Amino acid sequence: MELLFHLIQAMSVFLVVAYLYCKSPWFKPLTTDSLRTRDKIYLYFFFSTVSIMGTYLGIPVHDAIANARAIGPVLAGMIGGPILGTAVGFTGGLHRYFLGGFTAFSCGLSTTLEGTIGGLVHLYLFKKNKTDLLFAPRVAFITTFFAEIVQMIIILLISRPYADALDLVKVIAIPMILSSSTGTALFMSISRDQKNMYERVAAISSAKAFKIAERTLNFLGRGINQETAVDLAKIIREETGVGAVAITDKEKVMAFIGYGSDHHTPGSPIVSPLTMTAINENKVIFADGEKERYLCPVSNACPLNSVLVVPLHIDNDVIGTIKLYETRNKRFLNMNKTLGEGITNLLSNQLLLSRYESQKNLLIQTELKLLHAQINPHFLFNSLNTIISITRNNAARARELLTHLSNFFRKNLKRGSDISTLEEELDQVTSYLQIEKARFDDRLAIQIDIDPSLLKLRVPTFTLQPLIENAIKHGISGMLEQGITKVTAYRKNGLAFIEIEDNAGTFHEKETNDGLGIRIVDRRIKSLFGNDFGTTVTCVPNEMTRVTIKIPLEAHTA
Amino acid sequence: MMRALIVDDEIYSREELEAMLQETGEFIVSGKCANALEAIQAIKKEKPDVLFLDVQMPVINGFELLSMIDEKLMPNVVFVTAYDEYALKAFEENTLDYLLKPVEKGRLAKTVQKLKRMLNGGEKPVFAGPDIKKIPCILSSKIKLINTSDVEYVRSNESGVYVICQGGDFFTELTLKVLETRTNLVRCHKQFLVNVDHVDEIILHENMLAEIKTKSGNSVPVSRRYLKILREKLNF
Repeated sequence: MELLFHLIQAMSVFLVVAYLYCKSPWFKPLTTDSLRTRDKIYLYFFFSTVSIMGTYLGIPVHDAIANARAIGPVLAGMIGGPILGTAVGFTGGLHRYFLGGFTAFSCGLSTTLEGTIGGLVHLYLFKKNKTDLLFAPRVAFITTFFAEIVQMIIILLISRPYADALDLVKVIAIPMILSSSTGTALFMSISRDQKNMYERVAAISSAKAFKIAERTLNFLGRGINQETAVDLAKIIREETGVGAVAITDKEKVMAFIGYGSDHHTPGSPIVSPLTMTAINENKVIFADGEKERYLCPVSNACPLNSVLVVPLHIDNDVIGTIKLYETRNKRFLNMNKTLGEGITNLLSNQLLLSRYESQKNLLIQTELKLLHAQINPHFLFNSLNTIISITRNNAARARELLTHLSNFFRKNLKRGSDISTLEEELDQVTSYLQIEKARFDDRLAIQIDIDPSLLKLRVPTFTLQPLIENAIKHGISGMLEQGITKVTAYRKNGLAFIEIEDNAGTFHEKETNDGLGIRIVDRRIKSLFGNDFGTTVTCVPNEMTRVTIKIPLEAHTA
Repeated sequence: MMRALIVDDEIYSREELEAMLQETGEFIVSGKCANALEAIQAIKKEKPDVLFLDVQMPVINGFELLSMIDEKLMPNVVFVTAYDEYALKAFEENTLDYLLKPVEKGRLAKTVQKLKRMLNGGEKPVFAGPDIKKIPCILSSKIKLINTSDVEYVRSNESGVYVICQGGDFFTELTLKVLETRTNLVRCHKQFLVNVDHVDEIILHENMLAEIKTKSGNSVPVSRRYLKILREKLNF
């Protein structure tokens, strides 16, 4: 009985060791799922030490030692696998062997074997995909319990004289089995708690980061400006709970939320040397408030003491910073440092994305403008020339054409939005066709056939115009015979179709010229309605060219 | 008074220019043409002093038309265009001048001065037009364009110039002289041009005469005068 208490006492020392170990940086590898070789070497030294200590803390009994040597090898085996377990057991066993006594060899051997047993349990659980049980205290208890029984049997089998061995085992078996098993279980329990805590912290940080990402995603699409900066700073402060949050561009403070906002005013220029360094060198600056302090350059009464400055960048250009502050009476949490850096990287990516988006839109806008610029001057001069001529003999007709011309240009200017109805498109096209009809006289015939129920159909603005211009400019104006332009809109299979057809059939010859306009129209329809829609071109050389536009009837935008 | 021919595919452009030319009191408008073929015919018939030529026209544009006009009949040329970008090209073609549509009165007056100087100087206008890739032929009421590479040979007689190719014989307004200078067709007889790519064999006769058999079995006469040149060209 006394022996049991002694062993429990020794075990307590282990628990202290276990506790300290869990708090040390060497514990960190255990929180990940796979161990690297270097981590295993650390573990080897640690558990070998534990095992040897177990021997020294043991109590001499009958020329042998009642001890807690088994704890080290069994744990090493369970955590690191059979090789690590055996190695630790061998080391502990070898040490015991050199201490001598009639159980020297049997104890040395059994300790090695105990490490192997721990390792086999590890292998078994790994194969059964129950790795979560590796850190379960009850598994550790049962494993050690079994390993210690094996040890007793080995002592009985190998140690001679047998009578002494039997006496020894009678005395030490129960206390050693119980204390070692309990010790291993408690050790495991401490490790598990620590491991869980790490995971919980990680989970909380991820959850926070995700929440911030979710809250900022929406409005960051517009880029960072004075207004979004304030919202952003608020969100970051709410989620991290730091003393204050500031957002700057490269010259001035854009937003400041939290303690010290009385003298850190948005719009004022950057004066903090830490921020300037962060911007100039594109690196994260951290003043923890102890080794390096944040000294407010504006006011002596500023409560802020520590700061994290993270540069915001697009590609490699710094465009500003995000700053997290903590006051004098609060430590800057490591978690918030990680979080601050993470959020800033996330935001940088979002900004890159939003810039990419806006450039893509800009490109489409530019293409559209290009399309206008390409056509309008030619059209304008030709129209004016025609009208000037008509003025000589038919002033009324000239007036009519001028009205069409002004209508056409007004529509061109006015229609800033991306979507128009088919009716609006037709209105503009009609003015255009009227003028072209006058210009080409009887060389041009126009046939328009529109299903009236489609007049409210939503299409991208400037869908018809470029296609009809193509038909006339590259098609009919090159014909000696009469040119016929047909514009048709109809329903088929629950879809809307618009066709622009000419009887020139020259599309293939001037692919590069015609192609641009059609490509842009196609791209805009696809980006609006999806890839199932768009334009197709059919051309029978010298007979006809037909551009067919396929659009959904219910214009729900994609 | 200068005799002017207006070539433009748009009726109102022709009418407007005609009116403006008449207002200057310097021109007699001897004809108005809506396309290049009408223009070639009219130039032959009217022999105008000056051609007011639109650049952008169906099938054969203004520049192409220039290379189809016989040198002897070449009038002075003023390009009329709504597109500024053609102005530079017009100068490269050694055109006398160019006018932008709609035409300004003052600008036209300057052109008149230039034209008068040119015509008084008696200088013959020369335009280095591009090579002819397609020969315009008249087929009842339609125009057929024949690739020069498809042409076997060209013959001319009292009734005109005919282009012979796979599809048959086609009448063209272009002269043998123009086709000889502006295409890769080779003169083999006073009245014949031949495409050497279609030559199958050359049969030599007495008296330094010869006869060409084309790949499709047609025969084309070779005169004494051109046999020598043909020999040099074909290395036989």
